[in-house]
Amino acid sequence: MNLWRILTNGVVKENPVFRLLLGLCPLLAVTTALMNGFWMGVAVIFVLTSSNIIVSMLRKVIAPRIRIPCFIVIIATFVTIVQMTMNAYLPDMYEILGIFVPLIVVNCVILARAEAFASKNPVVSAAVDGIGMGLGFTIALMVLGGVREFFGTANLVINGQPLFDAPLFEPALIMIMPPGAFITMGVLLALLNVMVNRGRSGAGA
Amino acid sequence: MEIIAILLGGVLINNLVFAQFLGLCPFVGVSKNVEMATGMSAAVLFVMTMAAGVTALLHSLVLDPYGLTYLETVTFILVISSLVQFVETFLRKASPVLHRSLGIYLPLITTNCAVMGAALISVRQGYGVGLSAVNGFAGALGWSLAIILFAGIRERLELASVPEALKGIPVALVTTGLMAIAFLGFQGLFRFLF
Amino acid sequence: MTDYKFVVGSSPHLRTSENTPRLMFYVLQALFLVAVASTILFGVRAMAIIGVSVLAALAAEALWQKGLRQPVTVADGSAAITGLLIAFNMPPLVPLWVPALGSAFAVIVVKQFFGGLGHNFMNPAAAGRAFLVSAWPLAMTSGWLTPFDGATSATPLQVLGGSSGSLPEGWQMLMGWRAGCIGETSALVILIGGLYLIYRQVIDWKIPASFIGTVALFAWVFGGTDGWFTGDVLTHVLSGGLLLGAFFMATDYVTSPVTKRGRLIMGLGCGLLTALIRLWGGYPEGVTYAILLMNVATPLIDRMTIPRPFGTRQTKVTG
Repeated sequence: MNLWRILTNGVVKENPVFRLLLGLCPLLAVTTALMNGFWMGVAVIFVLTSSNIIVSMLRKVIAPRIRIPCFIVIIATFVTIVQMTMNAYLPDMYEILGIFVPLIVVNCVILARAEAFASKNPVVSAAVDGIGMGLGFTIALMVLGGVREFFGTANLVINGQPLFDAPLFEPALIMIMPPGAFITMGVLLALLNVMVNRGRSGAGA
Repeated sequence: MEIIAILLGGVLINNLVFAQFLGLCPFVGVSKNVEMATGMSAAVLFVMTMAAGVTALLHSLVLDPYGLTYLETVTFILVISSLVQFVETFLRKASPVLHRSLGIYLPLITTNCAVMGAALISVRQGYGVGLSAVNGFAGALGWSLAIILFAGIRERLELASVPEALKGIPVALVTTGLMAIAFLGFQGLFRFLF
Repeated sequence: MTDYKFVVGSSPHLRTSENTPRLMFYVLQALFLVAVASTILFGVRAMAIIGVSVLAALAAEALWQKGLRQPVTVADGSAAITGLLIAFNMPPLVPLWVPALGSAFAVIVVKQFFGGLGHNFMNPAAAGRAFLVSAWPLAMTSGWLTPFDGATSATPLQVLGGSSGSLPEGWQMLMGWRAGCIGETSALVILIGGLYLIYRQVIDWKIPASFIGTVALFAWVFGGTDGWFTGDVLTHVLSGGLLLGAFFMATDYVTSPVTKRGRLIMGLGCGLLTALIRLWGGYPEGVTYAILLMNVATPLIDRMTIPRPFGTRQTKVTG
């Protein structure tokens, strides 16, 4: 399969969040700010790509009956690596993301890709699939994080630097609280549905 | 007193779904009707209480004393998935009736991040084995309350003329958000207990 | 495949000659009384808040329905009721954009997202207020005035909760001469409006009676500062949004149970939760949250209290 198609597949056509609705918990929990979404996304890209590579390399070795536990151990190992690295170099972000870093291990996106793609495809495709899916997840995290941060704090912080000198309007605190996460995500998905339907009827006409 | 605080906190104030964003996949997936939600709740109650207790035991007996806490993620996920397997096998032999009602839900639990989440939270709070089990139970109770209430509303939504673009998951998420607003009313309840 | 569905009109499903706009008209009459009272008490500010809020609710509904090419149902009065109730729940000094956004949220997210009148599972006004309290807590929990003289002052519930200030006399609270949201203070007028709706058979007495009764009981037993059974029942019943909520928000057909037993449970639950939040919670007032939580439980209450036809098997309801 064409590598470019595999990459864009994860970002657009089978975007794990917007199209397949996988990994909702970390998505909603950590997206109180744009940068939280970014770093969570980086962690997921790393785990997803690495585990895809190893699963693909071992795909002829692992006995089918015990494949799921094997996948879990592989994923858990990379999650532990991420935990240690983040704790060492980004301790503040590690603190903010909290239990959702170790919880990457139960993120359905990762196990689903190991099972559905990496265990059936060669190493290079598996790696590209991991990057594509991870990117798709990161984009979703950053969109949701950006929207929530913008309306919830009336500002955007990028790399520790606020984008605007003062809040632009009276911030709606609820956006960075749990209800804001659910409602924003629901509205984003609905808008996406509207866009997809528009595109479809446009193509049909 | 601490037990009461953990129970109240877990069910009402720090509800897994409405405040902590845990266990959302099955929350959205298995909530189409109240019966299914109840079955799933029973399975989660059972597994989560045990998982929180067992992982706390493992943490305090093995990982902590031997300086192996970095293996937390790996060991916890293994313990939880084998526990689910074990519970399934055990129920099949010991109580076929219970197995018939819970059986289909059990495999779904391994990917339920709430179980792992409750275990991690218990350890980070420094609860002992007993309190960890209570914390797991409280979390599961709160999750069950949330999913059963949600399933009741979703059954009613089946009949509602929801706009096309919002049908399905989007409106389910908005519903959850509105429920989370209602649960905000419990913020700060019984502050003197905590 | 044709998707054949039974077409059901929106609730209330009543077997009378009354139709929805007529019932809404009675509610509007009762709410109009309250609006007049709040204008007398809080002056032009109250009028401005009410105007902005109602206009925002009507505009939001009309724009949404225009946008979706649905028939515009602004004339059924339900959006106006939502707007009025949101306005009544505002502190006198609130910035005017707050009720406007609250009304828009209530009409679009809480009602129209679910398919419009009859399909929402939460009372739009209550949800709108709770949304505003979380979104702009400062604007929603400060800016209290005493009527007429316009002096800033703590509300009676804040005083009960330990803020400095003195409690008004019983007759003052009955007439609405106390600090509070613009439409919640005039207890007597709300009571008249509520009784009028009961007389017109628009609302069922069971919800307000059990709601207010439960709050009174709990306030009396646990609300006192020197031991049990010493609580200040009158202040608890007449203060806060209890009367407004009990008569006008908890009784919403769409979001409250349909059975008699269910309605008693609804009122009881609302009362219990209100008392819980007022006495031991983090907010001074719990009426809105109590109503919302019972709205959430309403489908289950209906499930458990709808009588099964004779001779059918009992459906298993667990949990």
